[in-house]
Amino acid sequence: MFNLEVSHKTNSIQQIRYVCAIAAMHSASAIPGVIPIVHCGPGCADKQFMNLAFYNGFQGGGYGGGAVVPSTNSRELDVVFGGENRLRELIKASIKILDADLFVVLTGCISDLVGDDVGSIVREFQDQGVSIVYAETGGFKGNNFTGHELVVRAIIDQYVGDYDGPKKQGSVNVWSLLPYHNTFWRGDLTEIKRILEGIGLTVNILFGQESKGVAEWRDIPKAQFNLVLSPWLGLQTAKHLEDKYGQPFLHVPVIPIGGKETSAFLRKVTHFAELDIAKAEVFIKEEEKQYYHYLEGFSDFYAEYWWGLPAKFAVIGDSGYNLALTKFLVNQLGIIPGKQIITENPPEEYRAAIRKQYQTIAEDVFTDVEFEEDSYAIHQKIRQTNFGHKPPIVFGTTWERDLAKELKGAIVEVGFPASYEVVLSRSYIGYRGALTLLEKIYTTTVGASA
Amino acid sequence: MKINLKTPVVESREQRLGTIIAWDGKAADLSKESAYARGNCENTCGDKARRLCEMEGPFTQGSVCSEQMVECQAGHVRNAVLIQHSPIGCGAGQVIYNSIYRNGLALRNLPVENQHVICTNLLEEDMVYGGAAKLEQSIRDAWERNHPKVIFIATSCATGIIGDDVDGIASQMEVELKIPVIPLHCEGFKSKHWSTGFDATQHGIVRQIVRKQPKKQEDLVNVINLWGSDIFTPMLAELDLRVNYVIDLATVEDLEQLSEAAATVGFCYTLSSYMAAALEQEFGVPEIKAPQPYGFAGTDAWLRELARVTNRVEKAEAYIAREHARIAPRLAELRELLKGKKGYVATGSAYAHGLIAVLRELGVEVDGSLVFHHDPVYDSQDPRQDSLVHLVDNYGDVPFFSVSNRQQHQFYGLLKRVNPDFILIRHNGLAPLASRMGIPAAPLGDEHHSLGYQGIINLGESILDILAHKKFHQDLAAHTKLPYKQWWLDQKDPFVLAKESKLGNKEEPSYV
Repeated sequence: MFNLEVSHKTNSIQQIRYVCAIAAMHSASAIPGVIPIVHCGPGCADKQFMNLAFYNGFQGGGYGGGAVVPSTNSRELDVVFGGENRLRELIKASIKILDADLFVVLTGCISDLVGDDVGSIVREFQDQGVSIVYAETGGFKGNNFTGHELVVRAIIDQYVGDYDGPKKQGSVNVWSLLPYHNTFWRGDLTEIKRILEGIGLTVNILFGQESKGVAEWRDIPKAQFNLVLSPWLGLQTAKHLEDKYGQPFLHVPVIPIGGKETSAFLRKVTHFAELDIAKAEVFIKEEEKQYYHYLEGFSDFYAEYWWGLPAKFAVIGDSGYNLALTKFLVNQLGIIPGKQIITENPPEEYRAAIRKQYQTIAEDVFTDVEFEEDSYAIHQKIRQTNFGHKPPIVFGTTWERDLAKELKGAIVEVGFPASYEVVLSRSYIGYRGALTLLEKIYTTTVGASA
Repeated sequence: MKINLKTPVVESREQRLGTIIAWDGKAADLSKESAYARGNCENTCGDKARRLCEMEGPFTQGSVCSEQMVECQAGHVRNAVLIQHSPIGCGAGQVIYNSIYRNGLALRNLPVENQHVICTNLLEEDMVYGGAAKLEQSIRDAWERNHPKVIFIATSCATGIIGDDVDGIASQMEVELKIPVIPLHCEGFKSKHWSTGFDATQHGIVRQIVRKQPKKQEDLVNVINLWGSDIFTPMLAELDLRVNYVIDLATVEDLEQLSEAAATVGFCYTLSSYMAAALEQEFGVPEIKAPQPYGFAGTDAWLRELARVTNRVEKAEAYIAREHARIAPRLAELRELLKGKKGYVATGSAYAHGLIAVLRELGVEVDGSLVFHHDPVYDSQDPRQDSLVHLVDNYGDVPFFSVSNRQQHQFYGLLKRVNPDFILIRHNGLAPLASRMGIPAAPLGDEHHSLGYQGIINLGESILDILAHKKFHQDLAAHTKLPYKQWWLDQKDPFVLAKESKLGNKEEPSYV
C-alpha cells in the first residue's frame, strides 16, 4: 500500500502542520480586547479559525476571534479595480459596531497581489486617533509563525511607538508559544507567568487571558528585558526591541517541563535579571516539594506496573514543544528517543542551533532531529525507524492516529492539529503542567491495556 | 436553461440562478418575488438569472468560500486525491475536512483513514513566475503516493489572479497518467456564495468521471448527500431500490455509475440542484421533482414521486401507511412535550425549508429563521421543487425570514426579534453567539437526522436533549460580554447598515 522509499523532497504538502501568515489574526485576537480585521477572500478567516482554533483542541474563538472577525470578503470587482475603498468602508463600519481597544488589519493573497495600498488607508484612521495597525500577511509570503512576528512588530511600531523613559527593574516581556497553533498555549502561558512571578518578576505575558491587553503592550518598552522562551520564534521581535528600546534579551530555547528543567530555567532567569536569589530559591524549593511529592506517588506505578510501558518515543511537531518534550522524556522519565521531526519550517539560520540542542539533550544521550513539513514524508520516516522490541509512544498530531495504530503504539496528540483533544486550561509545561502531562501519557498507555 | 458542460469553468450560482445573500422579510414574500411564483419570467429576466432585490451593507464578517466546498466534496472521494493549487493557507481546510471525513467514515461503518489532499504550497516567487511546475509535480506526487483513480485540482484566489494554465496542465497529465485529472475552478472571489463550490465539483464529475455510455440499472437511485448516517438504504429497500451515495465518502466507481441510475434524489436542493439537473440533461436520469422529504407532506409526496418514476407505486403506499402508524404514538408524546416551545433555524437554504416543516410537525413555533443564501429557482426550473412555496403552502408563513450569509453581527438582532428557546444550525460561527445569549443550539452534523418519518421523531428527541443544555448557556450568558457595542446591540433592525448605505451616508460616525 505504501511506497516505503522516501522520495526526493518536493513542493507538495500533504496533511498540513502550519498555515499561512494571515492566520496570525489569532495573534491579534489572543490579546484581550484586540480584534483583527481581514482584507481577503471570503473563506480565509473561516479557514484559519476553524482549523487553528476549533479542530485543534476546540479552543474557541474568544472575544474578538472566530466568526466575529470583520472581513472584506473580496469579490471579482475588488480584484479588477482594487479593494481599497471596500477596506476603508469596512474599517469605518467595524469601528461603529465593534467594541475593541485595538484593531489589527491583516491582508490576504488578493490584496497583496493586486497591490492595495493598505498602509495609507490605515494611516487615515491612525491620523484621526483610531487605535489601528496593519500587517501584510498574504498567504504566499510565509506561514503563521512568520505572520505572528509581523503582527507583533506592527503593534509595537504602529501602536506602542517610541519610548525613551526609565526601565522598570524586575519586569519582563515574554515571547514564547504561538497562540492557538500550540493547542495548550493558554494553560502554558498561565504557568509561565506563575513561575516567573514566583521568583519575583513582574510579567508582561502579552497573550491570553492572563494578559492585561493593550495596557500591557504599552508597557513593553518599560520592561527590564525580553525573554524568548522558544527555539527561535520571538528572536526577531527581541532583536527589534533591543534596537528600538535598548532592551537586552535572554534566549532560552528549551521550554521547561518538569522539576529539573523548570528549576534550572528559573535559576537562569534569576541570574540574568539579577533578582534576589534567596527569594527565588524559596519559591523553587516550595515548587519542587510539591512536584516531587506527586512524583513519588507516581513512582510506585512507574516502578512496578506489570503490563509494560513504552520505552521509546517519537515526537512530531513544531520545534517549541518538540524540543521541550524530548528534553523531558529523556531526562525526567528516561525514555529513549526514537525519532524527532520538526515540522514548522524554521528559518534556515536557526536550524544548526536547534540541531545542537538535540545532540546535547543529556550528558549521556545523543540524538538528532529532522526538519520536514510534508506528512507523507514524515510518516515514511517514522515507518523506517527501528523502535526496537516494542512499539513506541508517538507524540504527534491527529495525522498520526492511524500511523500509531499501524505501529501498534500509543498516540498523544500534543500539537496542531489535535482534533481529538478538548483543551481548556490544560498545560503540559513547568512544574504543574508536567504532572498533567504524566497523567495524560500514562492514562493513554494504561487505558489501552484491556 | 441548459447547463453548460462544454467549458471547464462552472457558471456561478448568481449567473445561473440569481442567488442572493442578503434579504429580510416574510417567507411568503420571498417566495412570491422568486422566479417560480412569477411563473414565466423570461420577459423580464432573460434566459438566465432572476433578479431579486438584495441588500448590501458596509459591514461583513468572514464568510465561506467555494474552495472549501470543493474540499469537502472532491476531497472526500475515497480513492481520489484532491490537489489544492494554492499557498499553504488554503491548506488549513485539510484539518476540519479530515476530521469530518474520519468521523463520517466511522458513522457509515467504513474503514477510517485520513483524507488524501495535497497542497502545492505556492510561495512568493511562484506569484511572479507562475506555479505550473509545482502543480505538475504535485500531480506526480499524488500519483506516486496514492495511485488514485482520479485526481482533482482545486484552484485558489492566488492562482486565479496569476493565471496559471490549470486546464492545460490537467489535460497534459491526464494523457500521461491515463486517469481523469479534473480542474475544479473555485476561486473564492469569483462567486458571492460558496454553494458555487458544490457546483464546481459536480461540474467536473459529470464532465470527466461519469460513464458516457451507461448501462441502465433500473433499481439504482443516486442520493446526493454529505456524510450523513445511512438512512436511505433501509428506506429505499422498502421499494426494492438500491442506494448510490455521492459525493462524499463515495468511490470513483460510485461516481462513474451516476449515469446508470433510475433516478436522482437528495436531502437538500441547494446541494443536489446542479448535478441532478445535469444528469437528467445529459443521460436522461430523472431527477425526482417533488418537495424535499421532510415532515409528512414532503415525505409522502417525495416517496410517491420516486415510486412513480421507478414504477413501485404500491410498495410506496404500503410503506407510507406503515410509517405514519409507526411514529404516531411517540409523535403525540413529543408534541405534548414541545408544546409552546419556539425554535429558530439557521442553515443552508433548501435544507432550512425542510427543517422548519419538521419543527412545525412537532408543534414547535417558528417565528423566524435565516438561510445563508437564497436561490430564486433551482437548476431544473421545475416548480414542483419550489421548496419555499411548499413550506409556506403546507405549514404557513415565517414572519421573520432572513437571508444572511453567516453574519454573526446580524444574528444577535435576528434572535432578539423572536426570542427562540433553541436554534437548529449547520455550519459554524452562529451557535457560539447564541450560546452567549443563553440559547442552546442543536448542531445537525448528521444531515440525515431530520429526514423522512423517523426524522420527525429524531429531531423532536434532539430538541429535548438540547433544551436541557439551556442551563449551561444561561449561566454563561450571565458571565460574558459580547464584542459588539451597545449601540449595535440596541438596534432593532439587523439590516439597518445596509439600508443606511443605500440611502447615502447621512453622517460620518465619530471614530474614537
